[in-house]
Amino acid sequence: MPKDLLRHNETWLVLLIVVIGAGIAAANPAFLSFENLGGLLKSYSMVGIMAVGVLVVLILSGSPDVSFTAIAQVVEYGIAVATLAWGGNIFLALLAAGAAGAILGAANGAVVHYFRVPTIIVTIATFNVYFGMLYVITKGKLINVVHPMFREFGNTLLFAQTSAIGGRYGLSLMPLVWLAAALLGWFLLRRTLLGRSIYAIGGNEVAAERMGMNLLRTRLFAFGFIGLLSGVAAVVHLSIVQSVVPNIIVGKELEVIAAVVLGGASVFGGKGSVLGAVLGVLLFAVLGNGLTLLGISTYWYNVAIGVVITVAITNSAYQRLRRERARVHVKVEA
Amino acid sequence: MTPMAFLRRPSHERALSAALILIVVLMAALNWPRFLTEGNAISMAYQLPIVAFLSLGMMVTMVTGGINLAIIATANFTGIVTVLILRALAGEAADSAGAGVALVAMAGGLAAAMAVGALMGWLIAYVEVPAILATLAFMTLLNGVNLVITRGYTLSGFPEFLIAIGNGTVGPVPIPFLILVAAVILLGVFLRRAQTGLSFYLVGSNPVAATYSNIRVRRVLVRTYVLSSAFAALTAFIMMGQLNSVKANYAESYLLVSVLACFLGGVDPFGGAGTLAGMVLSVVILQVVSTGVNLLRMDPFFIQAMWGFIILALVALSFAGDRLRERRRLRAARILRAAPPSAASPGPKPAAAITPGERP
Repeated sequence: MPKDLLRHNETWLVLLIVVIGAGIAAANPAFLSFENLGGLLKSYSMVGIMAVGVLVVLILSGSPDVSFTAIAQVVEYGIAVATLAWGGNIFLALLAAGAAGAILGAANGAVVHYFRVPTIIVTIATFNVYFGMLYVITKGKLINVVHPMFREFGNTLLFAQTSAIGGRYGLSLMPLVWLAAALLGWFLLRRTLLGRSIYAIGGNEVAAERMGMNLLRTRLFAFGFIGLLSGVAAVVHLSIVQSVVPNIIVGKELEVIAAVVLGGASVFGGKGSVLGAVLGVLLFAVLGNGLTLLGISTYWYNVAIGVVITVAITNSAYQRLRRERARVHVKVEA
Repeated sequence: MTPMAFLRRPSHERALSAALILIVVLMAALNWPRFLTEGNAISMAYQLPIVAFLSLGMMVTMVTGGINLAIIATANFTGIVTVLILRALAGEAADSAGAGVALVAMAGGLAAAMAVGALMGWLIAYVEVPAILATLAFMTLLNGVNLVITRGYTLSGFPEFLIAIGNGTVGPVPIPFLILVAAVILLGVFLRRAQTGLSFYLVGSNPVAATYSNIRVRRVLVRTYVLSSAFAALTAFIMMGQLNSVKANYAESYLLVSVLACFLGGVDPFGGAGTLAGMVLSVVILQVVSTGVNLLRMDPFFIQAMWGFIILALVALSFAGDRLRERRRLRAARILRAAPPSAASPGPKPAAAITPGERP
């Protein structure tokens, strides 16, 4: 049983998070406080939600989507403008943002399917189209005042408490949205036919097609799903920052992809788990938060992340290499 | 290939040449008479080398079936190391240091870049880490190191010699352009004639076959990333000369542009195919488009959106072309079956004779 557990990437990640967390907590006990952990989960929920979507596309196509931050940026701007004009409530906003994101995402899926081009090429193109057009249409204007429902949604706290200096803290709703996205992702991937075909197509496209799996529908769905989650992530981000700076989300794509890959998703497709993606984001969160608590300059953040990614991918590649060498090769004459 | 054969046979380079001519005519017409001037040609020759060197560095890794996402970070790292050596040698008087000191510092920067390349290549070749991951990790790591060294500040004040590399001219021709021409010729000879260069294509198209052909695949892969990083270093020296400064995050937006240049140039992202001629045409096209659109005083973000539309259009066009060729081949095959060729009539030519370095 323990030997089995050690084979899983997720176990290693949990161990790594616990070890790093323990180190930080030993140096600064404030790390384990409800106030700190609540804030940490809240500030990483946008990245966490996106990571679930990135995972699904990576499993399907074995090539990362890089346009999701541009989609989130467009949706964030659009939803901020739309709610100011028409009002509505947060559920409608989430629904509309998800739908708009899903359409923009599914467009990627259609191009990938019909023109048979690698995902990364298509999404570089649509990243430029979405982000460029956003600036052309909006002239890059900031939105400083957003509809009050976002503040309400972002500031609602469960188990609210008052800190010594009078600030309120507690569990924000944002990590719950993240949790919901992760559960939805898990259910889709592990409990539905669609999810199984995503794994199958990612593992071997030709074989999956011969088994009768619908490539077009699966692709439209997976790319639509990352779009939907990007839209939801945009609302979460908007609720936290309560203003729109039209280039604040873009530029994070490689960090999100790195977190997902750290979680054990294969860059060749067909492999990966939602739990791993969530743990990958948590590891980044703990590292970033820990550096701040230890009083280390934030300049070191990228170095720390870089070292962790390098060690993790080297370790997993090395483990695979060892397993392959240990395997007995039996030659069968055809 | 003779010129006539080039004109008659469909190839990616032929399509790119036609596109280049069309775009030059279009831009000249839209910007009449500003585009077709000596001044504009010289300014394009100044700007071209940076994107060109980055794209060539990206191309060699893609030919072997990899990618180098760390190329910009490596370039910035090279610049910073060069400045550090410069300051260590010349102290406060770094901006009046002689050519010898500058050369030593540049050699140090180049060595640092190549060491980074060797390390990445080792991870990719011997530990078998996928290239996209290894270079992504190094990108993050180097960006971090760059930021820690510079604290986000801009370092400036370089000797004459370095400024001349970026800004100098020989007659009317900018020095960076001359360096680019020399590098393209050298790389061309290397890819066509040198054993290692030829192995890039073999390793990229079929690593197993390459292994059985007595090619040391792992060693070739390490060399690929060392070469790619050397191109990053070249970019760094030219950027230092042109901007008279280095910073942790210069030119980050060029990363996706260099991937785009390779795609436009006909490099197969899965490895094994891609010609230098295609790459040169592709970066020249990108430069002509961006200069032309700049002269029109268009919104730079519209230009960014346009890049996206261009890739999508290209993808659609190449798909349509493939379909057309496929249909023609099928028809030819049907005719062939209806009337089997006798010894007298040679019949249609074989559909595709694949030569190394060309898209199958």
